[in-house]
Amino acid sequence: MSIRVNVRRYRELFVNLTQRELKGKYKRTILGQLWSLANPLALMVVYSFVFTFIIRMTPEPGDPSGLDVFPLWLLCGLLPWIFFSNVVNQGMGTLLANESLIKKVYFPRSVLVLSSSAAIAVNWLVEMSVLVVALALFGAWTVFLWLPMLVVFMALLAVFATGIALALSIANVYFRDTQYFVTIALQLGMYMAPIIYPVSLVKVQSDRIGPLFANVTLLDIYRLNPMERFIAVFRRLLYDNDWPAFDDVIACVLWAAVAITLGMLVFSRNQKKLAEIL
Amino acid sequence: MSDIAIRVDHVSKKFRLYKERNQSLKSAIMRGRTSVHEDFWALKDVSLDVVRGQTVGLVGDNGSGKSTLLKCMAKILYPDKGSITMKGRLAALLEVGSGFHPELSGRDNVYLNGSILGMSRREIEMKFDEIVDFSGVREFIDQPVKNYSSGMYVRLGFSVAIHVDPDILLVDEVLAVGDESFQAKCAEKFVELRKAGRTIVIVSHALGTLASMCDSLVWLQHGDVMATGDPATVIAAYRGHDGP
Ligand SMILES: Nc1ncnc2c1ncn2[C@@H]1O[C@H](COP(=O)(O)OP(=O)(O)O)[C@@H](O)[C@H]1O
Ligand SMILES: [Mg+2]
Repeated sequence: MSIRVNVRRYRELFVNLTQRELKGKYKRTILGQLWSLANPLALMVVYSFVFTFIIRMTPEPGDPSGLDVFPLWLLCGLLPWIFFSNVVNQGMGTLLANESLIKKVYFPRSVLVLSSSAAIAVNWLVEMSVLVVALALFGAWTVFLWLPMLVVFMALLAVFATGIALALSIANVYFRDTQYFVTIALQLGMYMAPIIYPVSLVKVQSDRIGPLFANVTLLDIYRLNPMERFIAVFRRLLYDNDWPAFDDVIACVLWAAVAITLGMLVFSRNQKKLAEIL
Repeated sequence: MSDIAIRVDHVSKKFRLYKERNQSLKSAIMRGRTSVHEDFWALKDVSLDVVRGQTVGLVGDNGSGKSTLLKCMAKILYPDKGSITMKGRLAALLEVGSGFHPELSGRDNVYLNGSILGMSRREIEMKFDEIVDFSGVREFIDQPVKNYSSGMYVRLGFSVAIHVDPDILLVDEVLAVGDESFQAKCAEKFVELRKAGRTIVIVSHALGTLASMCDSLVWLQHGDVMATGDPATVIAAYRGHDGP
């Protein structure tokens, strides 16, 4: 069988599994696909209430967009985070969830993780489109100029998240603890990245403390978090409507490359054994 | 040789039998290891050639390694020693209806399952009516499959799988599916596939059926090949050995 036939064959399987994911999820609900927007909206309402009304959090207005709307500022970081967190969380469980299939049929097992990511990406695309329209309505018209860049970075984040999901899905087969551990890590991770607060607050603390050792500051350590870089880029593009910082761009590309390489390596090393160890 | 469809070359397959398997981090750390296991050889140096267009039956007691051999051929399991070469498109009927999504309709599941088994969308579209007619669940095809009776579920799954139209078909004990009329249909379908020159490897305990449909039989016992060849001879040897 030629490689070309194989690719076509498994591309169709990939598309069909993605559709299964999307179609099966909201079956027999009245709102259907709209439910996927409900979670980010609910979070937005709660966080906006807490952080503008109870705790005054005022991130810098968008520059040059001039936007100054906390819920929109929040969503620019929150939507990418929710996407990342969903891809990792759900991708991690796909091998266990499809155990019966893996034991009965041959196909490249990575299709399972990839289609789980793709289904989540479809929802994310819808969310981001709504957000872009909302940003424009609130005055950031120039956001449309940055759409091509936005798509590139959405793809990079998808690659990054999928790489992690591939590696963790294997880890989870060996140690079922993985999913519980990662769920908690993701919950904490949300507060370790500048999603509900601006990074400038971290800088204030970091400057107050001074260098921790040698020249390394708290901020430097904080910025080791890959999601910090991605969120910085998304806020630049969406909320400020300007070029992202060059080092952030490089960091995003590198993180994505490292994650996907590692993920594919771990996955391909173990995929043959899956039917046995599951 | 070009007319060999399946070559099983000195294949051995080992399983780990776990005395202790630490799948939680706590137990792994506490005991300082992930597992204690014994190796168990489910296939021992099995060699066998299947000529293209032939139907070969595997017989043997439960646990003799028949399913393991089929799974190795289907690339679900990988041999620890030796190699297996397959020539042509392969479909395995190891368990029908795996991969069905309960909330989706029968129609959607035909497409999904077809693509899992390696059919292209166009192919499924072309064969859709045939598949549905064969399964006999036409009235329910737009219902979610979770509302199907287990018989209907299995029939639809079987029907999809048998329409993959592979060069090589691996069948594991699924012939006993459905009611009598459905079984008759299946038998007919196998005859059709044989006539079309497909290679079939089939596991069954129905020795009578095997004798009538196979060109040769392979008898496995504890992972060893005990006898191969003419169905009547192999069945006689198997029965003779089996008896008290
Ligand atoms: N995943 C597995 N892990 C451990 N042992 C297995 C596994 N699969 C099969 N075995 C063992 O291998 C032997 C052969 O099994 P199998 O091929 O299913 O036999 P059968 O001839 O009945 O189909 C059995 O003793 C079974 O317990
Ligand atoms: Mg068996």
